[in-house]
Amino acid sequence: MVRLVKENYIPFLAIVGVLAWAIPGGGHFVLKERKRAIIIFATVFVTLCIGLYVGSIGVIDPVGAQPWYYGQVAASPVVILLGYITAGGEYPVHGKPSEIGQIYTCVAGLLNLLFVVNAVYLAHIRYSEAGEG
Amino acid sequence: MFTGELMPLLGYFLYSFSSMVTGTFTAPDQVGVTPSSILWLVPLVGSIAVAYKVTKLPTITAGNFIKETLVLFGSIVVFIAITALVLFALTWLIVE
Repeated sequence: MVRLVKENYIPFLAIVGVLAWAIPGGGHFVLKERKRAIIIFATVFVTLCIGLYVGSIGVIDPVGAQPWYYGQVAASPVVILLGYITAGGEYPVHGKPSEIGQIYTCVAGLLNLLFVVNAVYLAHIRYSEAGEG
Repeated sequence: MFTGELMPLLGYFLYSFSSMVTGTFTAPDQVGVTPSSILWLVPLVGSIAVAYKVTKLPTITAGNFIKETLVLFGSIVVFIAITALVLFALTWLIVE
């Protein structure tokens, strides 16, 4: 049992981490933390959508606003897809809408990063407990 | 394993979300540089309060979660309001 645990330890943590990033709450979902997963998904989704609503998809700018983009990407791979669409500069946004949109989308990404770390830590705890038991 | 049941869900999420976003959120909203634009911080504080409590509470029950989140939300908003008042008073003292 302990040997099996050690063999699958890293892939298990990696799967939980990648799922948590791909779908906000996905990591908690596979750990049977369904209520947390739903709340996490709703929080990141709503925060990201408010940012995109206020500033438009133009706030995701991998060329002109790279530091913000790195934070935004943590929200989901969808942001990378949107980055490809907006990279040509077809969706210009300036002033207050840009500022608010960037803050919201970047905070959504950073919150999801927190959830990814939390999901991987929970997975580590679960695996350690399974190994001892 | 569990990834098998999640992969279609993942694909559906990525496709539907990107379609919705590229179809609707293509023009920015009108937000002026006014004192009321500060209110945009309120939903953000809500998100942060929910995110903090969802990771910290050992068990999630509706009543307890809502209560704890509201207390944290209120604490942050009150702290921001007090900080704003202090800064405003300092500015007023310096300028007048």
